[in-house]
Amino acid sequence: MITVEHLSKSFGDFSVLRDISVDIKQGEVISIIGPSGSGKSTFLRCINLLDRPSGGKIRIKGIDMLDRHTDVAKVRQKMNMVFQSFNLFAHLSVIDNLTLAPMKLLGKSRQEAERKAHELLRLIGLGEKYYCFPDELSGGQKQRVAIARCLAMEPEIILFDEPTSALDPTMVSEVLSVIRRLAKEGLTMLIVTHEMDFARDVSTRVFYLDEGAIYEQGTPGEIFGNPGREKTKAFIRRQQSLYQRLFSADFDLYSLNAEVESFCSRHLVPLKSRHGLTLLIEEVLQLYGTSSSFFPIDITVNYSEKTGQLELLLESPPGSANPLELQGEDSALGLAIIRNLLLDREFTHSDNRNILKLYLKNP
Amino acid sequence: MTIETIKQTSALVVAVSGRMDAVTAPEYEKKINELLDSGEVSYVVDFGQLEYISSAGLRALLSTTRRIRDKQGCILLANIVGNVKEVFEMSGFGSIFTVHATVDQALKMLPG
Repeated sequence: MITVEHLSKSFGDFSVLRDISVDIKQGEVISIIGPSGSGKSTFLRCINLLDRPSGGKIRIKGIDMLDRHTDVAKVRQKMNMVFQSFNLFAHLSVIDNLTLAPMKLLGKSRQEAERKAHELLRLIGLGEKYYCFPDELSGGQKQRVAIARCLAMEPEIILFDEPTSALDPTMVSEVLSVIRRLAKEGLTMLIVTHEMDFARDVSTRVFYLDEGAIYEQGTPGEIFGNPGREKTKAFIRRQQSLYQRLFSADFDLYSLNAEVESFCSRHLVPLKSRHGLTLLIEEVLQLYGTSSSFFPIDITVNYSEKTGQLELLLESPPGSANPLELQGEDSALGLAIIRNLLLDREFTHSDNRNILKLYLKNP
Repeated sequence: MTIETIKQTSALVVAVSGRMDAVTAPEYEKKINELLDSGEVSYVVDFGQLEYISSAGLRALLSTTRRIRDKQGCILLANIVGNVKEVFEMSGFGSIFTVHATVDQALKMLPG
């Protein structure tokens, strides 16, 4: 249905999309997720040529969109787009918004176009709003009308560009439930969204975009349940990270604490968890401080805003022992505290680094 | 960490506040050693205003307690709450020391 080969897009020297190749089959519902600025909307806009690609090929039902002989407007009639900002005609009533394009472009009679518009408005729960103007509607109602207007053209493909991003949170669900219903009816849909639960429920496939490329793709189960790559994992878990390097055992504990405290404040880590994290860092570093062979140490604090899980990663030079296996009276108290703070721990050796991963209990 | 002392009839009340960690624990040890050297042997340590303690703080507490007992003195702990109480429980310290709910309760345990 949609074939994209080596698609790229640059704005001047700034590369937004790099070498994207995908094949989307009829009836697929694709959610496109990823951090802001990763090129999600540009990807969608390139597919229907609202942004012209810098390179690559796009075929819609076998038609080469970049062939100068292609009637792009005609292809767009079958591949409609719903925008974040609704883009309704403010001077036209709801019914006129829905009937204008079918009459002008599909050659439908007014009677036929209005019959279809009534049917669609009832379908999206706005049967009473035929004669209202967009300004008389809430954001959620406007977006539902925009979806109905799109359906009035009887498209085979719909591209949704962050359809709920401009909405008040109370109105998101009404729009998502309309899109859910369309997904069940077998329309081919590409949806750029930040609504992760929705993407998991509605999609047949999920593309995770990062740095202008499809970094990882898979079924919702794979992407949300068991993502394979680090950036996908961090995004799905809404993970925030703090990095610090300690060069010797004479490191400045208070400076490190200040960094950790600032990180925790910025990401609203609960006070109870902050205390556990600060304590864990001090206790573990006391153990590392017993030998210069542990230094330099790279410390990473990962915090999942989604689950509240805090992780502490300590990377030390190869050959250094697992500090949690130190014996002795001096380390016994610290080890007892560490054990109580942890949910789990892992120590791995590699050629270059030894990595200790500590997972804090979620209080 | 701030350490304040108040002389009572039966003991010296040592009120610690702030953080008792790897950086500040030596200050506590130094202070108690100075007091011991000046002949003070009965202590009630008030933890009510202490926000944070780590194993370094606990070790300082343990080593000073040994010195006090070596001099036939006594040390009672009081007012251990919140995060500090949790660390005491995690480390098993709660079973090593008798902890009193308030400074007054601790003082009553000592001969006037």
